Amino acid sequence: MLKVPYTTGYLSEHFADDDYTTLEGYRRRGGYEAAKKALTQMAPADLIELVKDSGLQGRGGAGFSAGMKWSFMPTDTDKPKYLVCNADESEPGSFKDRILIERGAHQMLEGILIAGWATGAEKTFVYIRGEYAEPARILQRAIDEATEAGLFGASCLGTGFRHEVVMQRGAGAYICGEETGLLESLEGKKGQPRKKPPFPAQYGAFGMPTTVNNVETFSHVPHIVAKGADWFRSLGTEKSPGHTIFGVSGHVARPGLYELPLGTPLSEIVFEHAGGVRGGRKVKGVIPGGMSMPILPASELDVPMANEFLREKKTMLGTGGVMVMDETTCMVRAATVITYFFRDESCGQCTQCREGTGWMNKIALRIERGSGSREDLDLLLDVAGKMEGQTICAFADAAAWPVQGLLRHFREDFEAHVREKKCPFPESFEL
Amino acid sequence: MVISAEARSRIDGEIAKYPRRRGALLPALHIVHEERGHVDVDTAREIGEIFEIRPIEVMEVVSFYNMFFSQPQAKHHVYVCTNLPCSLRGARGLYEELKRHLEVDASGNTADGRIHLGHEECLGACAYAPMMRVDDTYHEDLEAGAAKAVVDGLD
Amino acid sequence: MPTITVDGNELEVEEGRTVLQALDDAGLLMNGVDVPHYCWHPKLSIDGSCRLCQVEIEGMPKLQIACNTPVTDGMVVNTTNDRVQTARQGVMELLLVNHPLDCPICDQAGECKLQDYAYEYGVTQARTQEPRRALKKNVDLGPTIVFDQERCILCRRCVRFCREVPETGELVVQGRGDHSVIETFEGVPLDNDYSMNVADICPVGALTTKDFRFKIRVWFLQDVPGVCTGCARGCNVHLGVANNKVYRYVPRRNDAVNETWICDEGRMSYKRIGAEDRLPRALLRGELGVPEAVSFDDAITAAAQKLLRLREAKGAGAIAGVASAHATNEDLFVFRRLLDALGVEVSGVAVPRGRSDDRLIHAEKAANAAGARALGFGDAGAVAERIRSGAVEGLIVLGHDLLETVGGVEALSGLDTIVALDSHASDLQRVAHVLLPTRVAAEKHGSLTNCDGRVQKVEPAVEPGFDARAEGAVLAELGAALGLPGFDGRFDPFEVSKALAESAPAFAGAALDALGDTGVAPGDPV
Repeated sequence: MLKVPYTTGYLSEHFADDDYTTLEGYRRRGGYEAAKKALTQMAPADLIELVKDSGLQGRGGAGFSAGMKWSFMPTDTDKPKYLVCNADESEPGSFKDRILIERGAHQMLEGILIAGWATGAEKTFVYIRGEYAEPARILQRAIDEATEAGLFGASCLGTGFRHEVVMQRGAGAYICGEETGLLESLEGKKGQPRKKPPFPAQYGAFGMPTTVNNVETFSHVPHIVAKGADWFRSLGTEKSPGHTIFGVSGHVARPGLYELPLGTPLSEIVFEHAGGVRGGRKVKGVIPGGMSMPILPASELDVPMANEFLREKKTMLGTGGVMVMDETTCMVRAATVITYFFRDESCGQCTQCREGTGWMNKIALRIERGSGSREDLDLLLDVAGKMEGQTICAFADAAAWPVQGLLRHFREDFEAHVREKKCPFPESFEL
Repeated sequence: MVISAEARSRIDGEIAKYPRRRGALLPALHIVHEERGHVDVDTAREIGEIFEIRPIEVMEVVSFYNMFFSQPQAKHHVYVCTNLPCSLRGARGLYEELKRHLEVDASGNTADGRIHLGHEECLGACAYAPMMRVDDTYHEDLEAGAAKAVVDGLD
Repeated sequence: MPTITVDGNELEVEEGRTVLQALDDAGLLMNGVDVPHYCWHPKLSIDGSCRLCQVEIEGMPKLQIACNTPVTDGMVVNTTNDRVQTARQGVMELLLVNHPLDCPICDQAGECKLQDYAYEYGVTQARTQEPRRALKKNVDLGPTIVFDQERCILCRRCVRFCREVPETGELVVQGRGDHSVIETFEGVPLDNDYSMNVADICPVGALTTKDFRFKIRVWFLQDVPGVCTGCARGCNVHLGVANNKVYRYVPRRNDAVNETWICDEGRMSYKRIGAEDRLPRALLRGELGVPEAVSFDDAITAAAQKLLRLREAKGAGAIAGVASAHATNEDLFVFRRLLDALGVEVSGVAVPRGRSDDRLIHAEKAANAAGARALGFGDAGAVAERIRSGAVEGLIVLGHDLLETVGGVEALSGLDTIVALDSHASDLQRVAHVLLPTRVAAEKHGSLTNCDGRVQKVEPAVEPGFDARAEGAVLAELGAALGLPGFDGRFDPFEVSKALAESAPAFAGAALDALGDTGVAPGDPV
């Protein structure tokens, strides 16, 4: 199994080279030149315009315009400003940020330096999930290397611009990947998301103006600065430019990472790049963007992997975590796994989320065991509906959507469990 | 003093990185767990003093996170990921085999208390399933034999 | 001032308030405009987690929580449409998923916001088949509070209260998701001067007081508005009355005095009303020096005789009047007139003192010290001095706090005449020649002036069950028995209060019928 992406591009083309992970190796391939250009030749406002023009969407799952987010940072304040790099990657099916750190830490750090200059931030906190112990070691080494070389510190690249990078490890809670949940955890509290307003640009880390971006989002930035917005827009689709790194897992012949342009058809990713379903079986369903995103049935895999197309199919790009399930898979079992996850990870603040995630899991388990009724299918949908759009953060939506997706496309699996009072898929993965 | 001077010094180093002391609480809890494996009542009091917060606020944070504990722990934590992509590739069967192999009790501990076996949610190794996390190390692309060899090799 | 529209009606609101605060400011919340809520409390920080207060705001695609939405000029709010009602039903149903069916054994029943809102806004059929989570049901959180983990709806009011009001922070929510539980730290129980307020603010029966546990069903209680008499703060309360007995105090909101709080000691002072050491009968010290029970009339006649004899022998200067800081302004106004008419110039008020804090607890441990002082009763030390010097040989004394001032009952044992009016037993009984039982604040009409000069009224919530009378009534009869001009033996507190209101600036505009439920600060626009 290859850890580095099977198909590469500007993000990952050097990931297979061990010395690329050292500062010297990174620099030899042009590393930190873009940062030098940004810090010495470009005004922060122009830099923000550039990133806006490039159309770079955040790669952490929400897909919000990165340049627009940067522009929310106040320019006329004497409060210290911060950046946060969200390296909490805990979305099931996602493992791209991990490789971006393990093999491309300096690329990400360079993006951070440029973003710091653009937004006037004086410090970046990289919040990396606690379980990523080895990537954290690698990252800290890279931070130390870069700091020692004067890339970060009191005068980055000798320009007088001050920017430091501090790494903090999380401790095992998916909700700390939510922007404001992360901020709470960073501040040494429970990672319970904050009410919005206020938004992080007004009141962020330690109460100061803050922008939170994903690991991959930062990683694109040096390339945009080096090669321009037009170049970035020439890749991907009109509304979703650039590349991303898809993570393919599940019943494929070649699970792994694939750097590809946004807009690549899902079917191409599954059947061509990842080698199709293993053992010559047929696809049953594919989750396109991490487990929070509604599933697509085999008949709808021709969709280009970009938000503007996926939304029409009632799903989203998310973090590009492609999970392939073959014809042996029982979708009711999948529902129990998915609902268990959300029940366990709910922070517990909002009534609908706290109680709804628990209830959905219990109902799914009951249906799976064979004690469900037809009314339970509608009940499951009803509970999911009660959770959507009404909570402090989008976790409740993320918990509701997969259930809605499964019932939308695979209701017959659920009905079979009800009818036969047991799982009708003898070869399905076991529970 | 429950926390060692060395850990204390590392904690001070972390505190210096943050605009507010409390920002270093999670780093401090990691350091304390390295040393003691869990946060008991006395440790919570000491941490509370360091960060100028109440001991109950320390326990509140400990209780929220999967990697922090308020009770004494086994020497080694072995967690098999049983989330969806891993389950699709046989993670749960592997978990059951390990359970039998280690002969763990209802709370997941081996008879000699050295190893705790549990399951975790997605660890970011979906293409290398099934896999497990043993303390700080990932063991990926596992089949039962390899998994058993890893746990047999634990001290 | 911005103007918003709520359910079609315009409302002028203050800048910087949230929708829920604006409704509360206008007195409309749950009183004309229904926005049910759990986690929000007018005197605590905003939480935003219960999600029940969702309303529709024109122009915003999602429903917004009213507790965290700042008002803007021209905002249009809808609290009654189908979308809002469906959202409320959703929240209510989900809250009941894990809530135990404890109503038959839960103290909160009858004043439970879960019951109330489930009935008004919820669904009628339960759809859960799974067993509810099982947690601990009888957790001893501290000296005053019992906690039922299963009933808790995690609104976090108690957590915020302990952090923000007594600032002791004993409570936190531990864990995550539907395994979250309120906890204390080992060895640090919920124990502060205001701990019992958590039972009031808990919308359900998760937090209840040990004192009230299983005592009586709240629907048997009549809530009589009143004032705590434990100290000079005068926190507003409701007396919970049934069977002519006060079962509890709960704080009543008065933003000018106690907001929504009361200290534990004040809350428990209701026990003084029906205490066993109430004086139940008039006593007259007979020839042999032994107190005998007599009729009120006989006691008053004897008291008048002794006072007149002393005045004739030694002059009015040998008599002193000591007021009680527990008596009402009306009682004390009659006392002042009696002393004036009797020619008694030496007077004072003995005020018991104790510890204080910078919140509600006041050092003066009686409800009407300020009223007494406004009526010309100075420090009782002056009286004590004259007793010591022998200049004063006769006393008309209200209450027994004088004992503290003079350093013990022996200091009074040489006096010729002691006419005492009191509600509770004390050493005074050993030396008083006449002892007349009086009513406490919960048993009469009257007004009390708190430490800020605010005049608040009390009304009779219970009858004493024996012949005790308001001090004013006793003194009115004594005045008549003394033959003093202007005393016909009648005492009407309302009449007296009108006269009082015209007599001094401290009582201006503060006649009983002008006080309303929250009192008047003379100086308030009339």
